[in-house]
Amino acid sequence: MKAALRSSALVRAVTDAAGRWADADFPPRVRITGAIASRTGYSTPVVEYALDRLFVPLDAATLESVLAEELGGLEALEGFVPRAGGIRARAYPVGRVAIVSSETTIGVALAPAVFALCAGCSVLVKDREDALIGAFFATLAEEYPELRAVARAEHWTGGDASPSDQALRFADAVVAFGRDATLAEIRGLLRPGARFVGYGHRATIGYLARGSLDDEASARRAARGAARDLVLYDGEGCMSLHALFVERGATIDAERFAATLIEEVETAAVEFPIVRIDPRISPYLAGVAFRSALGAGGPRVFRTSGGDATLVVDPPHRHAPPFLPRVLPIYTVEGPSECEEYVRSHGLPLEAFGTGDVDDAMRALGAALGAVRIARFGELQAPSPSLPHGGRARVSDFVRWVASD
Amino acid sequence: MSRHAEAAALDARILAAIEGRALDDAGFDALARDLFVHQVRYNPVYAKYAATFGFDERTLPPDWRAIPALPTVAFKEATVAAFDVTNAALRFETSGTTAAESGKHYFETPALYDAALLAGFDRAMLADGAALRYLLLVPRRNTSSLGYMMRKVSAERGDGRTGWFLVDDALELDRFLDAIRAAYDARVPVCVAGTAFAFVALVAALGSRGIALRARPGSRIMETGGFKGRTQSVERGVLYATLSQRLGISTERIVAEYGMTELSSQYYDDLTFGASTGPNAERFKAGPPWMRPLVVGADGREVPVGEIGALRHVDLANRASAVAIATEDLAVRALDGRFVLLGRDAEARLRGCSLDSEDLIAPTRQA
Repeated sequence: MKAALRSSALVRAVTDAAGRWADADFPPRVRITGAIASRTGYSTPVVEYALDRLFVPLDAATLESVLAEELGGLEALEGFVPRAGGIRARAYPVGRVAIVSSETTIGVALAPAVFALCAGCSVLVKDREDALIGAFFATLAEEYPELRAVARAEHWTGGDASPSDQALRFADAVVAFGRDATLAEIRGLLRPGARFVGYGHRATIGYLARGSLDDEASARRAARGAARDLVLYDGEGCMSLHALFVERGATIDAERFAATLIEEVETAAVEFPIVRIDPRISPYLAGVAFRSALGAGGPRVFRTSGGDATLVVDPPHRHAPPFLPRVLPIYTVEGPSECEEYVRSHGLPLEAFGTGDVDDAMRALGAALGAVRIARFGELQAPSPSLPHGGRARVSDFVRWVASD
Repeated sequence: MSRHAEAAALDARILAAIEGRALDDAGFDALARDLFVHQVRYNPVYAKYAATFGFDERTLPPDWRAIPALPTVAFKEATVAAFDVTNAALRFETSGTTAAESGKHYFETPALYDAALLAGFDRAMLADGAALRYLLLVPRRNTSSLGYMMRKVSAERGDGRTGWFLVDDALELDRFLDAIRAAYDARVPVCVAGTAFAFVALVAALGSRGIALRARPGSRIMETGGFKGRTQSVERGVLYATLSQRLGISTERIVAEYGMTELSSQYYDDLTFGASTGPNAERFKAGPPWMRPLVVGADGREVPVGEIGALRHVDLANRASAVAIATEDLAVRALDGRFVLLGRDAEARLRGCSLDSEDLIAPTRQA
């Protein structure tokens, strides 16, 4: 990394490039949008939403606040600065950073790439075939030509890491997204001492306490948000809503809430339409119908008129969530302990925890369940880039602190 | 007519169909719907399920495609039988993590099952009428439908020197090597039948010892157990090519069988259909005349040819349980009742970063 690339300039370059990409009419973005839609099968509005979420929040204030919070300020990247305990310290770039995109997501490599660049690292991203990160890096190089040499993206066709992959073998830090088995394989390729940041697949659940279902207005508000969390990314993101727990005994019971929720899903699906309904829903619904047929009080099914979303109230707790697109199991519970037991018994690793009203009780429950993000319904999938992801800080993994007495 | 007499009459008609007597569309439809009537009359679990679709013994589905397909979970959560299972002649179990999770399929008599498996095997694997020695890498336990099937096939069609080389899921390589070399020396062609998992273990073991075997002309391989997910063709191609190289049997002589504990009949690769014979070529599955697949979309309706859907089966040999079964397997519908099997997770993990069922649940082998 050349000394000429000052942190403030890097931040400006990133935010200027992100500003161009935040414009839906920016020609490279227009081209990439179609490629992403083709690759993923998501509708164009979903892809547009994802790109907005990637680029719009990447402003200078956000990046600088993260750097300030984690490092004490940009100055720590450029010289020794006073730190707690009467020492002086400087945050040097960790070195070469390799980022392995998940083959199934949209632009997940962007945030770590941006923060690694801001930390002064050279970054190589193994990109998807839609080449989103590569296209963004091209814009970055237009803003700041010196970055062309340190921000690179290679097309990667997916699958597991190749043992011959020199970039991984010689990286000082590797960020990877994917299944646990893939992460383990990648980790095995690294040299001793290299830092590894793995983001595995995760689930998100929601919880509605009685207090959130006291009246129609509260229930409607929660349903509107939950509907959005269900339909965005067709329910396939780690922060999409995969299961919902509703306390019994509220004014609005689970069935009434489900009826409200399915109405809101109909509305949300207008904004974020589905391209193709997954055929796996057919055998899943056959199983639900079978259980309903066999016993009184079996699961109740609520579907949108087009059949593109399905709610199942009170499926058996012994079954894990189906993890099918736009299919949401709703479990009625007496209280949080039943929810905790469900999460524990199925070994669900949680990313996020959604609720109607975020209060201390819900924060405590979400944290106890292992979630690293707690949010109101409707905001689950709109985290600020300044927030930790996967429970990890944004920049710290990309710097090497050198302290001096 | 008593239940017993009704069952016997149906069995006779089904056996006639299996034995190759005419079974045109109308015949298939009539027999399927007669089976449906019998099953809603004597199988209370299936009757309750069918009732949710508005069908009973008086209100029949309009055709065989509309017969309610019982999901495979039913075999885990209930007793699916049109007879008193305390008198069952056979009982097969699906594999599951615990005994409580395994499904059970009961058979009133072995007659239909035996006839169906032998006729299906003869059509797909023994069209040349070859007398083979059977070397088996499949579970031997009594409750394995695959184990039962291969025991029956080898007893009825083998040369009397069948060998079993999978013990508690572990491959007994040295005994297998002795057996296949002995067959070669005796100039006897072999049928090596095994699960995909066992074959993976076999080629790995042979590879680690640098062994390449030879087999007499006419030898063949039956692979079952399938491959999961979207890397199917690559993995299968690699395995078949390696198997061919290590056992000295050409890939054109490798046939994949697709069966389920919940069915009485089996599908096999139809190597005469389309471009099915290269190591990485799509392989089209075809069933016998008494079993038909339905590839359905999310709405439960049959998808157009070329599209992906969930697999259902209408198996006339399932007289004593449920004639129509809904599976979680996905397939591409092909022409003339054929399909390309994709497996359970073909749609999964193409998008998103959430968990899916494969992350949480160890896949069960249908043996």
